Amino acid sequence: MRMVRITVDPLTRIEGHMRVSAEVDANGIITSAQSGGTLFRGFERMLQGKDPRDASLHISRICGVCPISQSITSTNALEELYQVSDRVPQNALAVRNFIQASNFMASHATHIYVLFGPDLANPRYRDVLTGSTLRLGATGDALWKELLGRFAPISYRMNGQDIPAGTSYLGAITEKKRLHEAITLFAGRMPHPASIAPGGVTCTPDLGEITKAAALYLKVMEFVQNYTLGVPLNTWIENTAQARSPQAAVKFVTDHLASIVDRSTGNNFSRENGWKDVELFAAFGSELVGEKILGLPASLKLDKLGGYSDPSKICFLSYGAFYDSTKDGYNPSSPAGERFMTSGVVRASNMRYENLDASKITESVARAFYEDEAPKHPYEGTTVPIADADKINFEAPQTEKYTWLKAPRYDGNAAEVGPLARMLVAQDPLITGLAQAFAENGMSPANVYTRMLARMHEVAVIAHKITDFLDDIDPAKRFAEPLDMRAGRNSRGAGLWEAPRGALGHWITTNRSGKIQNFQAVVPSTWNLGPRDENGIPCPVEQALVGNAVSGCDNIGGADFTNPVAIFHVGRSYDPCMACAVHTIDATGKNAPRDYELL
Amino acid sequence: MASEKLNMIEQFKNLDILKVDRRTFLKAVAALGATSFVSLYGNQLAAAMSEITETKVLWLHGAECTGCTISALNASSPDFVDALSRLNVSLAFHETLLAPQGIFVDGELVGNSELNVEILLDELVKAGGYILVVEGAIGNGPDGTGKINMIGTHTFKDIYSKAAKNADAIIALGTCATYGGVTVTDSATKRYCDFMGVNQTEQRRGGMNAHLGIRDKPVINLPGCPAHPDWLFLTMAAVILGRIDLNDLSGVLDREGRLKVFYPPTHTIHDNCPRRGFYDRGVLDVRFAEGGCLWKVGCKAPYAHGDCALRKKNSGTSVCMQAGGPCIACVEPIYPNGVMPYYVETESAGILFGINIGTVAALTIGAAVVAAGVHAVRRVNKEK
Repeated sequence: MRMVRITVDPLTRIEGHMRVSAEVDANGIITSAQSGGTLFRGFERMLQGKDPRDASLHISRICGVCPISQSITSTNALEELYQVSDRVPQNALAVRNFIQASNFMASHATHIYVLFGPDLANPRYRDVLTGSTLRLGATGDALWKELLGRFAPISYRMNGQDIPAGTSYLGAITEKKRLHEAITLFAGRMPHPASIAPGGVTCTPDLGEITKAAALYLKVMEFVQNYTLGVPLNTWIENTAQARSPQAAVKFVTDHLASIVDRSTGNNFSRENGWKDVELFAAFGSELVGEKILGLPASLKLDKLGGYSDPSKICFLSYGAFYDSTKDGYNPSSPAGERFMTSGVVRASNMRYENLDASKITESVARAFYEDEAPKHPYEGTTVPIADADKINFEAPQTEKYTWLKAPRYDGNAAEVGPLARMLVAQDPLITGLAQAFAENGMSPANVYTRMLARMHEVAVIAHKITDFLDDIDPAKRFAEPLDMRAGRNSRGAGLWEAPRGALGHWITTNRSGKIQNFQAVVPSTWNLGPRDENGIPCPVEQALVGNAVSGCDNIGGADFTNPVAIFHVGRSYDPCMACAVHTIDATGKNAPRDYELL
Repeated sequence: MASEKLNMIEQFKNLDILKVDRRTFLKAVAALGATSFVSLYGNQLAAAMSEITETKVLWLHGAECTGCTISALNASSPDFVDALSRLNVSLAFHETLLAPQGIFVDGELVGNSELNVEILLDELVKAGGYILVVEGAIGNGPDGTGKINMIGTHTFKDIYSKAAKNADAIIALGTCATYGGVTVTDSATKRYCDFMGVNQTEQRRGGMNAHLGIRDKPVINLPGCPAHPDWLFLTMAAVILGRIDLNDLSGVLDREGRLKVFYPPTHTIHDNCPRRGFYDRGVLDVRFAEGGCLWKVGCKAPYAHGDCALRKKNSGTSVCMQAGGPCIACVEPIYPNGVMPYYVETESAGILFGINIGTVAALTIGAAVVAAGVHAVRRVNKEK
């Protein structure tokens, strides 16, 4: 049987430079996939020999989408390194929590609406919904009109016609900007915050700034309630995140959707009729929820894309995020239950929670453009980029080196990280309940639909919590604890935190002069989008593409290799951030950095 | 100072923006900021636009963090989308925002420009007649191959080369594109990657353009990590309205290729710092979160030329020093190597823009550096 090789390069509408290539059989089903990162900048090498305190400001430059997370993660590592974690003032923890929460909401809004959303307006869905194969008539026409009207991106053209940008798309850009203004009140600017430093924060917000942040938040919530979510935020949280059981949470959502379906005679899928973006996506995004439970005539079948066929090869990982900001100090190892979003691991084979053990993290470079080394824990990791430029070959087979991304593993397993992983680790009733429902119907609990719904749900969970962080700031109290620089000699620290797109870890060691000896970042997109490891186990996205109908929607009307929407959806569902994902270190001692005298 | 600015704003409110000379226009733009500029002149701009053909903008991403795109999306009054529509700009190519992606079947490009970004870029570059915005540095390594950064089947270096040659003008956006920025941080992999700015790498003139033999191409540098969205959209406005003559940029750019109006050679960020009063009174913090002048915790504002402290960040909300963060001079070609360690007082570090402070007085790096050199000289004299 003839195989076709489809390559998407660049996979646009992500952060950075990424490619995906897939082998597709004659029926249009993906049989294997490779994921590649195509830019190398070498951030970790930049910090060797530098003043450790530079890490927070410098490392935020890894990524302009999640700089807050990069800064806080570095700072967590440095606070362990300088032995000050237990004395960081409550105020600093609360400020960090607030700007991190705002960054989560802004980043998720950008992903949902600006990066992922436009794929819902792909001409593939015009053909499925309004074409002659399914004959959906006015229902299909009305649904397509909603998708295009809400999610079309700027400069969009279809059949030579200019399409106006979608209403939700445009609104989300405004709200993202507003959230960045709220961050800037405490961080001086966004992206690349100026105020996160080891020992605390550098800002001293007064009541005016705190109140203004609250006002900006309330304005953002107007958009959330007018465009995104069709029930009051409190009602949603009480019945989903705080539901008494997973089944109750799922029932609340499906009952809510069913009530909207009931009043949608005449194919009225408008926002005014209750079909906010979450409702539209939750109902029409899934075959199981939309067609089987709600009885809708069609869906986008996103639950049949991006699943895992072999649960023994995958787990879900979270390092935990958002300090307990009701008191001074925190535990840098992020023990279970200490943070608002807990750390932990859930293995797909049994879907049970277990405690995080950071010593089980290793990285493999067997398939990455670095000189070979056995997989090592980040503290011990050594990596040297391949010297021969001819060996930089993204077309190389899966048994050779084919990307700049390394392959992190947890206890030897590939791990998905991000909102879905955080929700499963936290045993959130709604997302856990949905995962169970898919498993009971013989489908993968993780798929494009649950991945995106978890991201939307997480916005609600954080929006519900964020004002508590503001309340925890007391302008009369201190915001920073001084560092004892002597504690930073021959020391080390690990920063374990969460970026919007998943688990983010920095491991820093210092030499006898108190300068950085070694710096290593293991970032979300390396977990999700790295290559195979030395045992040939593919990373999450490489696993999740296998078995997909390449044109989505069961290849209804025939597979179209020139518009492989499955690859777009699955790749983007992980919210790739390739700038974060590519990095290297070298602790071999060759080219040792010059050692500054301690000032 | 503040009342002076208010007077200027009052004066500019009554201008017919389409009839003023370039200098006045730029002064108006600088005084008002984007926030009020287009809102005040929106109708006139719209009228002017009806007579001016659409301007195509191609926006390329090299070795970058997408921070400058995120920053551009934070533009306000006009916001990002309004700015484009009011200035009649067609954002014809932008990898992070536009719908299409690169699609190959068995190695062959397929489809059309509506779905396939590779075909779209090829068509746009061939047609020419666009402003090229470059975000991120351009990689030359390893060994001059440019393979450090690949997109589709091409190196970014090749993609840049083709797009630059056919561009009417280039706007290098952010410090990576202008001078290399964080991508040229001193490290053991710096030479391997060999990242370059468009027209300059760190303090060395030439950049990737010289390397590629691209000469006499109008280039406007808008550094900053990230660049302020006003700097981008007001520059576009000035270029599109013909208030900046692309064939004669000498009068509007400084030695580092920056628009003087946003990066004033005559004064530094320090001069307009919200905490300047503490400096003058000698309230110099030695710890974080004390609320005073940040000089002793490493602030580089006396060495940095930018209107950051007047314009402020994120819709005029705040600026680094206001939030207690020392300025790291991210708008300067010496960023970051000349300004690390970030939290150490510049004099104590014994360096000034990577140069021993003992020799600084002999250098002509720029007026403000000489001014800032007063600190250094004082220090040197003390040591003697």
